[in-house]
Formats: sequence, C-alpha cells, structure tokens
Amino acid sequence: MNKKQRAIRHKILSVLIVTVIGVWCLAPLAWIFITSVKPMGTEYRIPVEYWPSEPTLDNYRTVLGERFTIQRSILNSAIVSTGSVIGTLTMATLSAYAIARLKFRYRIHTLYAMQIAGMIPPIVVIAPTFVMMRALGLLRTYWAMILPNMVYALPLSSFLIASYFANVPFELEDAAKIDGAGTLKTIFRIVLPIAAPGIFSAGVLAFLGSWGEFMLANTVSIGSPAVETVPVAIQSLSRAFNLQWSWVAAGTMVTIMPIIIAVLVFQRVVVTGLSAGGVK
Amino acid sequence: MVLAFPALLGLLVFNYYPIIQSLLYSFFDLDFTTDWLNAPFIGFQNYATVMASDQFWYTFLFTTGFTVVAVTLDISLGMLFALSTFYVPKGMRGLLRAFIIVPWAIPKVIQASMWRWMLNSDVGPIGDILVRIGLVEEPPLFLAERVLAMGSIVAAYTWKGASIAAFFLMGGLALIPGEVRESAIVDGAGPLRRFFSISLPIVMPTVFVALLYRSQDALRVFDVVYGLTGGGPGTSTDTLSSFAYNAYFRFAQFGRASTYAVVTFILVGAVGTFYISRVRRNFSFRD
Repeated sequence: MNKKQRAIRHKILSVLIVTVIGVWCLAPLAWIFITSVKPMGTEYRIPVEYWPSEPTLDNYRTVLGERFTIQRSILNSAIVSTGSVIGTLTMATLSAYAIARLKFRYRIHTLYAMQIAGMIPPIVVIAPTFVMMRALGLLRTYWAMILPNMVYALPLSSFLIASYFANVPFELEDAAKIDGAGTLKTIFRIVLPIAAPGIFSAGVLAFLGSWGEFMLANTVSIGSPAVETVPVAIQSLSRAFNLQWSWVAAGTMVTIMPIIIAVLVFQRVVVTGLSAGGVK
Repeated sequence: MVLAFPALLGLLVFNYYPIIQSLLYSFFDLDFTTDWLNAPFIGFQNYATVMASDQFWYTFLFTTGFTVVAVTLDISLGMLFALSTFYVPKGMRGLLRAFIIVPWAIPKVIQASMWRWMLNSDVGPIGDILVRIGLVEEPPLFLAERVLAMGSIVAAYTWKGASIAAFFLMGGLALIPGEVRESAIVDGAGPLRRFFSISLPIVMPTVFVALLYRSQDALRVFDVVYGLTGGGPGTSTDTLSSFAYNAYFRFAQFGRASTYAVVTFILVGAVGTFYISRVRRNFSFRD
C-alpha cells in the first residue's frame, strides 16, 4: 500500500469514527429536538416519525407560556449557581492560598479534610441537611441550595486553584512584602492575577456542578415552582405531563441549550479544569 | 490558617456534621421523626434488620454489579474516544471533542428523562430501529423488564460516563512523547501492538485513577436511576442511594434509610482510600 492510499484510508476511517461517536453523543439530544417540533399529540403516532410532516414551534410557545414555569426555573438555577460560585470561589481562593503558599501546622490535614469531603456520597448528608434547613426555616428558599452547593464545590475548586498558586514564583511575593504590602494585598495584587485562569476554570466547573445538582434541589424545594431549579423542573414536568412529550421535549431544549452552548464556548477552560482536577 | 477557616467551617457544617448525624440516625428507631434525642436507642438493630432482608443484599449486589459493568464500559469507551481524538486529522479534532463534551454538559437527571424517551417501548427510536432491522419482532420493554431495565440504566449512565472518562484519558495520552510512537511505527509495530505495549503502560496510572474516580461515582449513583426507572420494575433497579432516598423521603424511615446511606459511604470510602493514597504525592505543594 503506497502513501497516498494510506492517507485516503486514514481519512475515510477518521470520518467514520467522527460520525459514529457523533451519533452516540448527539442521538438523545437530536431525538428530543425532533420531538419538540412535532405537533402536540403526534409524538405518540405509530409508526414512529423520524421527522414530522409539519414541523412546528407551538410546543415552545406552550412551555414558555403562562401555564409553565420554565423561565422561572432557569432564573432560579442562575441565581443558585451564581450565588454558589461566588461563595465557593471566595472560600476556595483563600484556602488554596493557605494550602499552596503558607506553612502552617495543619496544612496537610486541611488538604485531607477537603479531599475526603469530595468523596462523600450525597445520600449520606441529604437527610441531616434537610433537617438542618427545616430547623433554620430555609426550606423552599434559595439559601437551602446555595449554602450546601457552595461547600460541595470546594474540594475540586481549592485543589484546582492551589495548583495554579503553586506555580507563582515566591520571589514575586517576597518582593511585594519587602515593598510593605500585607498578606491580603499581596494576594490581590500579585498572586490572584497570575492564578486567574485557574480561578476562572474552577468557577465554571462549580457553576456547572450546582446547575446540574438534583438530589438536594429536589429535596429542599418540595414542589415549590418559585424556587425549583432546572433539573427539578424538567424531572417533575416529565413525570406530570407524561402524555405530552412534545412539551417536555421543548422544555428540555429551552433549558439545556444555553448550558450546552456555554460549555462549547468555554470548552478549553472546562477541559483544562477537568484534567487538572482528575488526572492529578 | 485563618485563610482556610471559612472553607473548613463550611466542610464541617455541610459535610462532616451531617455524616455524624446520619451515623447517629442509624442507631435509633426513627419512623416519621428525626428527633433522635427523644427516640429509642436500638444499637445495631437497624443494621441487623437490614442485613437480614433480601432486599438489602439484592440492592447491594445490584449497586456493586452495576459499578463493575458501568465503570468497565466507561473506561473502555472513554479510551476509544480519547484514542480517536489523537487518531483523526487536526481539522476534525475540534469537532470530535465538541461532540464528546455534549453529554457531559447535560444534567444527569435530565439525561435520564431523555433516555426514558429514547427507550420508550411504543414510540422510542431504539426499539423501533431494532424492529426495522429485523432483530426483534416487537419493541423490547426496556424499562419494564428487570434485566432490560438494568441494561438501560447502564447505557444511560455510560452515555455521560464515557465522555468524562475520555477527557481524563486524553490528559494521560497527551503525555506520551511523539518520538516514542514514531520509533514504534518505524519498527513496524501495528496499531494494536502499539496500543498495548507502548501507550497503555504509559497511561496506566491515569487509567487507574480514572477507574477509582468513576467507581466512586458509580457506587453512589442516584440521578440516573431516579429519573430513568425510579428503581422499577418494583425495586429491582434500585441502588443503595435511590433505595435510601425513598426510605427517607417517601416512607420517612430515617433510621433504616441511614443504614443504607452508611453502607454506601463505607463502599465509596474504601475506594477513596486507594484514591487518596494514589494522589497523595500531588499533595506536596510547598516543601
């Protein structure tokens, strides 16, 4: 086999591979999209229609209308995730600085405490957390989701940010100290700007984590549409309107497209974060 | 030390305190109440009752069996995906990675409802295609038959898991020096040979960490089960987590449910011990 033949074979195989993986990764999404543009009721027609004879956007109009609370759930998710990210990044940056830059006695214990916390199965903490939120009167509020999510994202965020901090030359910091800057000032002026990419990628991952979180959100929102996040809203929609899957599909499309687009835009950041947090 | 304080306080309140609380619950007779201070202390009786029930052992075996199968698939498919991104020409690499990242972006419980619709036995495309290509006469009851329902959960779980594993492994594969590969090609080693005797030994540490990481995730699986089968038919696809969740919040058996939760924790913790000992060397930041 000569070089040219081999190049052609390589190309054909590559296209084949990309197609197969593409179908596997996109099929469920494609099917939801197709269902979402079927006129209501026709999604249950047999034989199965792979493209509706009369595609329509009616389902989108319906689910964005007054009978549903899709927009509300997107807003709720945005509030919960933003709130959690702000909290996570504040706590994670401070602790990461301590872990990566300072010498203190319980440094290694702090690290262990974080890593172990990252492994705790949600089911072990869910009931006491529910009881705690009930005692504090926070059920059916954003706080019941923001506060725990803030903490759930800490282990990965701290580790990620700490590994960026570790790359900042100590000389830079020492120079700032000699110039008379205090610890906090040194952090903000010198270390933070250099670690910014790490903080950003920790932020994106923390945002996605609390955006997709279901068990806690489902438990503390107790069926109240006013605070339901996207995963909870779609789950209850898909159970309640079992017969109108074209609506569920439209609702699903509306709620997941923004996040898919965001992930594609931030792809590089997300992947760096994933591999730094995981491979290490 | 002061700087780490807010984070440690957070961990204490939302991670460590609840664990101890769950452990306490499991030693009390708590039906329809969480007021353990006023409930009868019954020692290990919850554990004894649970251990004596067939349901527990069934759920335990299903959860661990699911973990073995799902993680094997996650890693194998993930490895194929990761290798593919290195195989295809540069022009297609971006597209391929974009495809792979899509399942990762979708919240697990929504992913479960998407698969529920894919696997619908009347109008789901998977059953329909199987009928059309003549593999089966009637669409299989993917979610209503025990074994098929188990397979469905594995498929829906792996859909996302393979993507996560792929990104893990890409990181590991990227560390293989180009010269090593080239010299193997010059020596006439075929692609399979190259993978098993050159790439795999180099990425083995990454594979191992990915294996532990995915196992922990699979052992505590909840969202996919809850959203796809709800544990059904009956309780045959319940995992330790989903069974415990129903025991907590549907049947309000806080004591009994806590024993399931504690067992889940012990399983994940056992894997976690390996994980920590493996990644410990990365803990040395300033020495």
